[in-house]
Amino acid sequence: MLSRFANVCGQCAHLIRRTLPQRQLLQQSTARVRTKSTFGGHRPDPGAEAARKLRLRSTLYYVTAGGIFIVGLSYAAVPLYTIFCQAYSYGGTTSEGHDSEKVEHMVKVNDRILKIRFNADIGSSMRWNFKPQQYELKVAPGETALAFYTAKNPTDKPVIGISTYNVIPFEAGAYFNKIQCFCFEEQQLNPHEEVDMPVFFYIDPEYVKDPALEFCDTITLSYTFFEAKEGLKLNFPSYAKPHVA
Amino acid sequence: MTSQIYSQKKFIPTAPDKGSFPLDHDSLCKNQFLLYVSCIRRNESDSAKCRQQAQDYLSCRMDNNLMDRTEWSRLGFRKDTANL
Repeated sequence: MLSRFANVCGQCAHLIRRTLPQRQLLQQSTARVRTKSTFGGHRPDPGAEAARKLRLRSTLYYVTAGGIFIVGLSYAAVPLYTIFCQAYSYGGTTSEGHDSEKVEHMVKVNDRILKIRFNADIGSSMRWNFKPQQYELKVAPGETALAFYTAKNPTDKPVIGISTYNVIPFEAGAYFNKIQCFCFEEQQLNPHEEVDMPVFFYIDPEYVKDPALEFCDTITLSYTFFEAKEGLKLNFPSYAKPHVA
Repeated sequence: MTSQIYSQKKFIPTAPDKGSFPLDHDSLCKNQFLLYVSCIRRNESDSAKCRQQAQDYLSCRMDNNLMDRTEWSRLGFRKDTANL
């Protein structure tokens, strides 16, 4: 009677065991085994246990390796992206050396004349006088043109300036190619010195094929000079060179 | 700055093909510069009419070591398209 009670309540079994004699204990233990088997459970054999452990360990190794691979890939992505962008000219980076051959073979487009307006600005603490020599220039796409800016240092100290440029409208900027200019390199002007700074450029003949620029005949080129100081951060490409005195 | 606020396309300046012009501190090519600029002013800013003066200025720069010597065809001054 008590043994049947123990079957139902396994937790109470250890309490009852102390009070029961040996024979009834044996009955109980076999009953417990039977109970387990009636529930469909069986004592796991060592082979399946080891196989399960092995599978768990392999899964763990695979997941760890996958994690390390992802982390490594994210580190390697930086140089890989640079190579990819330079090869396919994504995001404004251009491939090396393809522009110089283009100048030799490009054909001037005769039926479209573009007006290039020139703008000159200086940074707020910059003490140069900086202005363009011509307000505008009429050029044809596919033809190289020369433009001048003049900068004068009216102070008594040499001033080092560095310039950046901007082209408006944004879509036309993609067709504005400079062969040589005075931007992105530090330029030093001695006291009371005045220099002429040329910009040698051309508009890509593909300009006339762009539907977004069909009615756009005026392009503005704007140069801004800043004083080269420590900690000056401009939107420079990586090839900006420091002043070599 | 507004382009950053409104997420407009950002203009990315590109490198000039031949790099940067060294400054003409001693005004060695001032004559050619003045001839070119006066030609532009005479011809109502038409750059096609002043290509000879532009070529003169650039050759002065090359002679005075202010520009790398390059063939004229690479600078867009071809004989067959030269203005008469």
